[in-house]
Amino acid sequence: MSYSDKIKEVLDTSDVALFMKGTPDAIMCGNSERALGALRRAGAPITAVDILADGQIREDLSAISGWPTIPQVFVKGELVGGADIVEELERSGELEQTLVAKLGDNYWEARGEKTVSLT
Amino acid sequence: MRVYQFRHIRWRAASVATPRTRLGRPHRRSRSGLTDRYHARVRERIQQLLEGAFPQAEQVEVVDRTGGGDHFEVIVHDEVFNGLSRIEQHKLIYAALDEPWKQGSIHELRINTKGTA
Repeated sequence: MSYSDKIKEVLDTSDVALFMKGTPDAIMCGNSERALGALRRAGAPITAVDILADGQIREDLSAISGWPTIPQVFVKGELVGGADIVEELERSGELEQTLVAKLGDNYWEARGEKTVSLT
Repeated sequence: MRVYQFRHIRWRAASVATPRTRLGRPHRRSRSGLTDRYHARVRERIQQLLEGAFPQAEQVEVVDRTGGGDHFEVIVHDEVFNGLSRIEQHKLIYAALDEPWKQGSIHELRINTKGTA
């Protein structure tokens, strides 16, 4: 299975997918940390993918999303943005609104983090 | 009208905050004037590309966040962003900066876009 297929599978099966540098336990980039922090504070059920595991993951991800930078946050398979946008959405309250709209009123009951390896 | 106020002040503030090595030298910044000029050129090139892509913008500002010439924040306020989602707004910025992006001269880009509504 190619990385493209694996990425699409993650997008299809995850409520909130975070493609980041490193993992939530070992974050390798300040911007990934910013996005993760905003999602944590919003109580999102996070599925994290470490794009540093293989350089090809990042290339295939950007080809799918049309977004050149890392991190990338998807809710129900739809690109929400990178660190700047997610923090902006958090400040304006729209992040929670988006999660409620896409995942339901009680989305935070499933809050937590899991890490998926694509390699 | 373009607003350049604060740029100088922010630059200086960022330089002060630059992490230093044990020897007390700035960590990311070379002492060579040549490198400093290259860094300034990258910033100016980004400014130029954005001004070209958003000729009607109320504000185009490029801040070198670390003084290292590869961590930038761009602030663009333009009518074309009105009604666009944030994703679409940021994609316009990425498209305008395709050249330095492909060259690898941008390590980190923070984007601050706003419409005029």
